[in-house]
Amino acid sequence: MAEIEAPVGAWDELIDGDGQPRPSAAKLVEHLRRITVGELKARQDAADLDILAMGITFTVYSDGRGIDRAWPFDVIPRIISAREWASVEVGLIQRLVALNRFIDDVYNDQRVVADGVFPAELLTDSANFRPECRGVHPPLGVWAHICGSDLVRDADGTMYVLEDNLRVPSGVSYLLENRAISKRAFADLFEAQSILPVDGYTDELFRLLRSLAPDDVDDPTVVVLTPGIYNSAYFEHSFLAQRMGVPLVEGRDLVVDADDRVHMRTVAGLKPVHVIYRRIDDLFLDPEAFRPDSTLGVPGLLRAWKAGTVGIANAPGAGVADDKVVYAWVPDLIRYYLGEEPLLPNVPTYRCLYDEERRYVLDHLGELVVKPANESGGHGLLIGNRSTAEERARCAQAIERDPRNWVAQPILDLSTAPTLCDGAIEPRHLDLRPFVLTGRTSYVTKGGLTRVALRRGSLVVNSSQGGGSKDTWVVED
Amino acid sequence: MLLSRVAENLYWAARYLERAEATARVVREHTNLLVDFPTSEALNWEPLLAIVGGRDDFDDRHDRADEQSILRFLVADRDNSGSILMSIEHARENLRTTREVLPREVWQAVNDLYLFVASHHGEGVARRSRNRFLEHVVGEVMRVSGILDATMSRDEAEEFLRLGRLVERADMTTRVLDVRAAALLAETDRVGASAFDDVQWMSVLRSLSALQMFHRAMRCAVDGPSTLRFLLFDEQFPRSVAWCIDVIDRSLVRLPDPDLVRPACRQARAELASVAVDELDGDALHTTVDLLQVAIHRIHDALASTYFLARATGSVPVT
Repeated sequence: MAEIEAPVGAWDELIDGDGQPRPSAAKLVEHLRRITVGELKARQDAADLDILAMGITFTVYSDGRGIDRAWPFDVIPRIISAREWASVEVGLIQRLVALNRFIDDVYNDQRVVADGVFPAELLTDSANFRPECRGVHPPLGVWAHICGSDLVRDADGTMYVLEDNLRVPSGVSYLLENRAISKRAFADLFEAQSILPVDGYTDELFRLLRSLAPDDVDDPTVVVLTPGIYNSAYFEHSFLAQRMGVPLVEGRDLVVDADDRVHMRTVAGLKPVHVIYRRIDDLFLDPEAFRPDSTLGVPGLLRAWKAGTVGIANAPGAGVADDKVVYAWVPDLIRYYLGEEPLLPNVPTYRCLYDEERRYVLDHLGELVVKPANESGGHGLLIGNRSTAEERARCAQAIERDPRNWVAQPILDLSTAPTLCDGAIEPRHLDLRPFVLTGRTSYVTKGGLTRVALRRGSLVVNSSQGGGSKDTWVVED
Repeated sequence: MLLSRVAENLYWAARYLERAEATARVVREHTNLLVDFPTSEALNWEPLLAIVGGRDDFDDRHDRADEQSILRFLVADRDNSGSILMSIEHARENLRTTREVLPREVWQAVNDLYLFVASHHGEGVARRSRNRFLEHVVGEVMRVSGILDATMSRDEAEEFLRLGRLVERADMTTRVLDVRAAALLAETDRVGASAFDDVQWMSVLRSLSALQMFHRAMRCAVDGPSTLRFLLFDEQFPRSVAWCIDVIDRSLVRLPDPDLVRPACRQARAELASVAVDELDGDALHTTVDLLQVAIHRIHDALASTYFLARATGSVPVT
């Protein structure tokens, strides 16, 4: 019989403090205790083979060379009760609606600055604020249509929003693939209870993208724009294009004509394109408007978007709200734009821009997580209580050099879930990235991508740094 | 509405798959010759280099052209872009950028084959395990064809896969004829020509998996002229040059602007029609096959300039 090692200190997603399964995890835990670790290992091996055979990969870079690696997956799912998830969904939508109001405001009237809610200097300094986008009114006032928010749960069970990814959030394809794999591994459990399906995402995404087409187009052509095969998320770009049945294009496949219309180069000549789901960062999107050395983008794309001949998701400039500094203001922004209290709490965040908060951070480096404001993938992160004196000194220097670029948060005891590690079931820390879509209506994935730190005690869940993933089951009690 | 870039990737993926399969067949057949060959005569492995190509590259990196080094070069050499290993890898890379237009099973099958070849290519070199390895490669590429046939819509994407396969196949058939048949014809002029000629002509047919269909269609003994006639002109055998060109020609009508490519097919057909098999000696066959290969390359060039290059430079008007 498989023995599940009890969690220490942190909140465990499947098991409570007395070693009893949480109600929505009862069937799974009972099942795990009934089979042997050997049997579980056999299912893990089968899952790993599926991943290899299905070519589910991500790309990591070392020595300037991209290497295609099999997607790391832990066979034991993470479970969330449907009741809890319903309230998380509402909170996520509230957040994204407020963030979109903020983005639309900063590129137009900047009321939020005039009313003294958001400091003007943060906007002018922001690495993600695009002056080129001032005065643009995208349809419905929506700029960030697709958002991947990172959620974590602290030791007392509270779920916090850790960050909002509004530029080119990735991971949703792995969420969908993880489900396909875990269905094979635990077919019997899918029959025995109601696990909410995740497959609707690509249909919802396609519907959203079509709604971004210019009004006079009846049957719009949608494309997914990828930087190409060497991008770490290429698998996902291809996956989404495939699921939606739309072309996966690279910058060189597109051309903008003198009338500001976008076309793609097909075997039958140039054909019009009406909506672009772009997975290229702003700065590389259009060498005419942004970085002139970009070979990934499409010259004239910004001009076409401003002329309203093409819809782009997420809109250029949407990243202004995807910033660990802006993050600290999100609760205020929700109150300001919506007149509501935030439904999902932020992690308390110290902004090194302010002398007082910076002093606190520098004095308490050993107890804080320090993050650069504009890096993704966990690079440049300092986890205070696991750092050396030398690392802290280097970090302090970096903060003094460029205070605006740093924020700090208390170290949360990320929750854990039982994970199969070297022939034993042990607790490992994890987070959750649900995906939120917003246009005429809003949609949240049922659960999200659970990322798990596979090393004992580690809090770093990024797949580029040794993290794995789990399927996430939203279960009706 | 297929992107030009995707069309080109599909076309090359199919060419590489076909090349891997054809190389595997040719190597397998050459290895089988050992069985029928008199022990007094050493089997020469060098024709394999001539058929598959890359002779100069091979000579640059090898002192001796023995069985082991040639087999390693053709099956497992990472630096030889035409080796079975690299052909499969190139096919996979091309398909990786086109997964969104393919049935999922196709990608999985090619990925499976890639994983197999990447870890087992040593078995294709060693004589003891070679046959099994090569059979597997041939079988798996055929499985891919089967999945395509059964699951892929007959859309433009499928058309470019077909075109890539057929251009490569026609090219390979001419290469086999060029090397093996020309050598055989040259030997027939020699006094006391090898008693193993008919065995060798059979082997030419077998390396294109054509022997059984030859018997059914030709109803005569295997000899030089009949073999050439079958592999060049037969209108029903799917590896004959005529069949490949005809199917390419017929497939084009399902693509935009077929008239930019069809003249190249007609030209190749005319070239073929002018071949007088009975009058060929070794040298004449060389010349004839050279002309055919040029004609096949013209079809490739016409496809590239019509669908890959011209469209990519945007010189074609909006339609």
